[in-house]
Amino acid sequence: MRAAERDAEFVHFTRTHRTDLVRMATILTAGDPASAEDLVQTTLTRLYLAWPRVRRAESRLAYARTSLTHVFVDETRRAHRRREAVMADPSRAERPVPVGLDFGERDAVHAAVRDLAPRQRAVVVLRHWLDLDVTETARILGVSPGTVKSQNSKALVHLRRALTPYVTITQEST
Amino acid sequence: MNDLRDTLDLAAGDGHPGTDPTADLARARAALTRRNRRRYSTGLAALALVAIGGVGVDLAVSGNAPATDPSGGTVTATGVRLVAKTFDATPYTFGLTPQGWSVQAQTPTAVTIVPDDGSVSTSENDFQGKLVIMFDANPLDGRKVERDGRSFWIGDSSGYTMMATPTLDGEPTGVVRIQFPNGAGWDEDSMLAFLGSVHVGDGAQQGVG
Repeated sequence: MRAAERDAEFVHFTRTHRTDLVRMATILTAGDPASAEDLVQTTLTRLYLAWPRVRRAESRLAYARTSLTHVFVDETRRAHRRREAVMADPSRAERPVPVGLDFGERDAVHAAVRDLAPRQRAVVVLRHWLDLDVTETARILGVSPGTVKSQNSKALVHLRRALTPYVTITQEST
Repeated sequence: MNDLRDTLDLAAGDGHPGTDPTADLARARAALTRRNRRRYSTGLAALALVAIGGVGVDLAVSGNAPATDPSGGTVTATGVRLVAKTFDATPYTFGLTPQGWSVQAQTPTAVTIVPDDGSVSTSENDFQGKLVIMFDANPLDGRKVERDGRSFWIGDSSGYTMMATPTLDGEPTGVVRIQFPNGAGWDEDSMLAFLGSVHVGDGAQQGVG
């Protein structure tokens, strides 16, 4: 395809969907705006390089979200390993939201998400924000459905404990 | 109390709507240029390069030299002189040659020119610090400039400048481009003149990548 055509389609996609990607990256990075922006920039560059494949995708936004998830997991892998060494199970992170303190609900959610391992964050975003099923979530993350269920369960235990004042996490969520 | 999805939606923020995609496009283009160059290097490494040396190019990187008519004398560059001296690196012909630089390798897809002072690798597969002339069908991108009735595209990436222009009528159809290190004494005007002097002959093959 011609460069001008690629550029035009990329700009149109970016103009239309950059906001969606920044929002997803904001949850994945637990509200760190600089890291979220880095993720999105890296993702958009990867999309441009792979644009012939992107334009053939059934949903370009879905392709982009998958790519963003991969970028996030890749770029946090080292930090994740360090984290796992000290805290393998997020439910051990006793960090309840201090009700009544002067940071709001959004900050509380970011704090709770921050205590999740990167792959658990990705599972939460894919399963509970994007409403993807276990099979699709497993496909995107390149893990088994059983792993998704297990990671999801651990993540929800932590979120339930940390966010009880703000959010209802029902048993069906798991 | 909200459900989890609503809460995550709140945590996602507004996504900074209205961001201009220009910077994203510029970053992406630069990445594509870098990838193309890497692919070119990899492809070239797979070829059996034939080194030729001493193709009538004189030694010496100098300071600014006196400017004279390009048709018969020298063209001043910042630190490197381009000599109006034709030499043949079949299937490529050059109307100007950088004084003090010699052809290290030539293939149907590219020619590599290196300084004679031994400051760069003797490996034909290592392009650091070298002037490379390539022929391919990759897109033209970067800053567009006009010179002597021809259009050129100039880009910069990772310490190197890339210049490209479509081949002329009568030459194999494609794009001829040069890559040279910043800070090696080349200036833009001189290198545009050099690229404009490159003629692509029959037998040239487009590089892949």
